[in-house]
Amino acid sequence: MAGSMKEIKLRIKSVESTMQITKAMELVASSKLRRAKERAESCRPYFNTLHQTLADIAASNTEFTSPYTKARPVKRTCYVVIAGDRGLAGGYNSNLFKMMDAQTQGEDYCVIPIGKKALEYYQRRGVPILTTEFALAADISVGDSFAIADLLCKGYLAGEYDRIAIGYTNFVSMLTQTPALLPLLPLESLNDPKELEQIRDGKPRMLILYEPDSETVFNAIVPEYLSGLVYGAMCESVASEQGARRTAMDAASKNAAEMIENLNLYYNRARQAAITQEITEIVGGSAS
Amino acid sequence: MNTFHLTIQTVDGPAFEGEAQRLFCRTIDGDVAILAHHADYCTALGMGEARVTLEDGTVRKAACIGGMLTMLDNRCRLLATTWEWSEDIDPERAHAARDRAQALIEQGGLSNRELALASAKLQRALVRSSVAKK
Repeated sequence: MAGSMKEIKLRIKSVESTMQITKAMELVASSKLRRAKERAESCRPYFNTLHQTLADIAASNTEFTSPYTKARPVKRTCYVVIAGDRGLAGGYNSNLFKMMDAQTQGEDYCVIPIGKKALEYYQRRGVPILTTEFALAADISVGDSFAIADLLCKGYLAGEYDRIAIGYTNFVSMLTQTPALLPLLPLESLNDPKELEQIRDGKPRMLILYEPDSETVFNAIVPEYLSGLVYGAMCESVASEQGARRTAMDAASKNAAEMIENLNLYYNRARQAAITQEITEIVGGSAS
Repeated sequence: MNTFHLTIQTVDGPAFEGEAQRLFCRTIDGDVAILAHHADYCTALGMGEARVTLEDGTVRKAACIGGMLTMLDNRCRLLATTWEWSEDIDPERAHAARDRAQALIEQGGLSNRELALASAKLQRALVRSSVAKK
């Protein structure tokens, strides 16, 4: 009996130290989350307006001189995948990869992974990777997102891929984060064909004035647009990661507390049993 | 005077949202001024001073660098890489940044990439300090 008491005591100790770690991680995640959330919230209107504006332009665009606007037969797709740098964030990374796998099934594609987990995942699966330069999701700045946009544009113009989409995690609230896939290029793919039908609905397309001309405008705007969206998706993803980690660590701490409670119960029971046994032995000894 | 709805957004958050009489800014093709009921229009922004005439006629100045401008259906959306209102710019810092960038270029010995970065920096600093001065 004394042996099992010691075992339980050790178990309690180990669970306690795990709980200490999960608690600390939760605190770190919540303080990082606050900052990340502010950044995501200040960036969100820009992100949404940017996407909406380009979608509006694409809906009424009649100029196809720029290679960015015209859809070509898709032979290869380039995905920008934003995941976390570290694990222990609940389903944050695996949910994103699950969604990406469902989307990319049977396609010929390449990726630009952002975040260490994304890099590791696609390296393991042998998917062609365009660059490993942006492996750390946490320190991507506006300047880096411009570099990514530049890279994307160059590859797209060179015909290395015919479609660009970005996979990231939407920060819905502190408790919910949903992975999402957003098409970036060509601009035609921004609108759902059915919705487009409804918007147009027999109405003539509005003519937009481009100054100096549509090609120059698109060539100037598209890199800007890509970097804006990459940065926005980054902010959302970083906030989501911290949110997911906080929830996961909160659950882990709660589980650990529950486990300690149960183990304490067992410990007391074992102690009681040991004492009872000792008394029985003494009584038995004096009786004989 | 007629007004139009103007939204100015930057990566760091919204800079302006409301009615305006007139928007003046520098595009890649030169200066433009947008008034209410402008035809549907789309262009990319360059670096330069921007002026917004508000509903009550007051003029606000800002340093506007990069981005895009669209006017659709009397709603104007300006998405800037950076947009700083003149009152938010610290003139001393802007001047110091300009002098630093200038000194760096004059000193020479930079690689092409560094030179491009430095001249971009100088251009931004020039815009900023010229807006702050007035």
